[in-house]
Amino acid sequence: MKWTHKDLLGINLLTGEEIEYLLERGNYFRKFLDGSPKKMEWGEGYCLVNFFLEPSTRTRVSFEVASRLSGMEVINFTTEISSFQKGESLEDTAKTLARMKFDVLVVRHRQSGIAEYLAQLLPLHVINAGDGMREHPTQALLDLLTLQRKFGYFQGLKVAIVGDILHSRVARSLTLGLKKLGAEIFLSGPPTLLPSAMESWGGKIVFPVEKAVEGVDVIYLLRIQKERQEAGYFPSIQEYAHFFGWKEKWLNEENDGPFIMHPGPVNRGVEIGYNPKEEKFSLIEEQVTCGVAIRMAVLETLLQGEKQ
Amino acid sequence: MKKILIKGGTAIFPHQGVLQDVDILLENGLITRIEKGIEDTHAFLINASNLLVGPGFVNLHVHLREPGREAEENLLTGSRAAVRGGFTSIVSMPNTHPPIDNPLLVRYLLLRAREVGLVNIFPAGAITKELQGKEMAEYGLLKEAGAVALSDDGRGVQDAHLLYLAFQYAQYFHLPFILHEEDENLSRDGEMSEGETSILLGKKAIPRVAEESPMARDLVLAYRTGARVHFTHLSTSLEIELLRWFQNKIPISADVTPHHLLLTEDDVSKLGTEVKVKPPLRSLEDQKALKEGIREGVISILASDHAPHPLEDKNRSFSEAPFGISNLEITVPLYAKALIEEGIINWVELWKKLSYNPALFLGLNNKGLLEEGKDADITIIDPGTKKVVEVSRFESRGKNCPFENWPLLGWPLYTIVSGKMVMAEGSIVEGEIC
Repeated sequence: MKWTHKDLLGINLLTGEEIEYLLERGNYFRKFLDGSPKKMEWGEGYCLVNFFLEPSTRTRVSFEVASRLSGMEVINFTTEISSFQKGESLEDTAKTLARMKFDVLVVRHRQSGIAEYLAQLLPLHVINAGDGMREHPTQALLDLLTLQRKFGYFQGLKVAIVGDILHSRVARSLTLGLKKLGAEIFLSGPPTLLPSAMESWGGKIVFPVEKAVEGVDVIYLLRIQKERQEAGYFPSIQEYAHFFGWKEKWLNEENDGPFIMHPGPVNRGVEIGYNPKEEKFSLIEEQVTCGVAIRMAVLETLLQGEKQ
Repeated sequence: MKKILIKGGTAIFPHQGVLQDVDILLENGLITRIEKGIEDTHAFLINASNLLVGPGFVNLHVHLREPGREAEENLLTGSRAAVRGGFTSIVSMPNTHPPIDNPLLVRYLLLRAREVGLVNIFPAGAITKELQGKEMAEYGLLKEAGAVALSDDGRGVQDAHLLYLAFQYAQYFHLPFILHEEDENLSRDGEMSEGETSILLGKKAIPRVAEESPMARDLVLAYRTGARVHFTHLSTSLEIELLRWFQNKIPISADVTPHHLLLTEDDVSKLGTEVKVKPPLRSLEDQKALKEGIREGVISILASDHAPHPLEDKNRSFSEAPFGISNLEITVPLYAKALIEEGIINWVELWKKLSYNPALFLGLNNKGLLEEGKDADITIIDPGTKKVVEVSRFESRGKNCPFENWPLLGWPLYTIVSGKMVMAEGSIVEGEIC
């Protein structure tokens, strides 16, 4: 297929066909990751900068691994030693990085819309690794890859997303992606964290959570941030865990699901506890590996688009 | 458990709005038969001729003061006062010490209520932790422990954003709000209603807007969030207008107290601290508006705001004395005076506002109804005998009551809770009759 996007800014901008293409390539790289030694050459001569202005370990490392395995050079930009501390603006810093002739800039920032802003400003490929409360497209793609490899289909797949949907770029991107591929999405969580406008995105809001997870194939638990309690969205972590954390009674009668996903890092004892049954149905570890594979697929696709 | 047969009375079916001369049989805690001419030689017999028999009264607003303020009232004295007042179910307000803001305290209250065993006590949990107005309490855990509603009564919630979130969050747990409206920037250290009397007496005033403005705000918040809200102890005519404006748009309800229907700000000059109460007694115009609201139905619930205080405290200077009136055992006769004697509403309507409507608000499907299979919570009223109020004989520890020596009609004569007779002939049943 002909790839026309310079950047990967959000799932919203992709067609179902484009998503499926990335998943197909992701699946190829996922198989590749099981082999050894792991080295590809299509990325040689390209250089990527991880421009992370919000704390992140797994996404940043995942991008780093994906690009190194593809043969790319990687530079990690860290704010502690940057000119930000000297008061340089985001615009100037980004322009400076572009002038150093990086090919790909992976950006994470707390402001929604930053990836789009940089993509318009800079000639290089921009990959959104999470912008505020807006999108986190590679997370959604890795989640979709995990689902595709587990179930083999999306049409009619039932996924419940539970938790802080209001602040979650993961929930937004995933809902958009699932919708484009024909899955059914149920949303639940504390009503303060569940904007009714999400219904217009294709997710169905269901209360209480027990009803939302009934009959689904997968429960996607979102990470709850302690700051949300401090901001007054729910009264305590105990109450959150008690009502919105995974429970054994959420298992179906056949006792073969639903499966559990989580973007990580997990708050143990909050979204998920220490029940061995959780391990049995967890796809969380597979999500991590799929993360590397899908990022390789994204890099390959963007760089190949350049070659076309 | 023994059976009780209530014979010869006039039964009130508040939901249907009808009166009917039928007998009622109670057994195993339930109403089992309602028909004419029931005979049962094994049942304890109550002769109810010339008496009104209906579903037990449910009171949305009672301060039991336990834990922490047991000198003012406790679960035993408060329960005794309640059943003497004809109430079979009461909602206890959470402004105790410590306040009822966590599941542990709800469970404690329910355990104590079972120990006392006189009346159904339904705890209201706090809207905010420690009633500080800063953080939401744990509504889910409160509900699971047995809380039926949320209230910061005694204080208004000042922070609109907090309440906006609370209104959304509480819906997940189907918990309604009982709102005490008060903007503390407006009420400040006011002592009585703003008006001619406050000017005359030179007292610091509480303007009507102190309640009206947050009530308007909360109506809008409820409109936008879908929360179920109930406004307690209304006192001004504009509050009735606000209810009218919103009543067909969202499910709302409101209650008043007996004292706001029988006393006005003028009484402050005669009765002093005895009538120092929040919200303050307002003008005759406001009182008329409240009665009109009751007549047309925007005020669908009648409650007490029973607020017992030790006389030592009430006997302090006007500024130092606490707010509140003790009225639990005379609430019904006071309403009979304010509403029935004045022809505002009849007994059936009064009964509905005291039983069916508050039970419906709380979601108590087995209460407030005189129907076979429903809970055997029954109140029997003598509508025809006049008696004067003797505050010294109150079961309540709170003797802070301005209605001493008032001649009143409509006294509760029997109270039956879960098929157990707890008040008979106007006195508490000590031990077991049946």
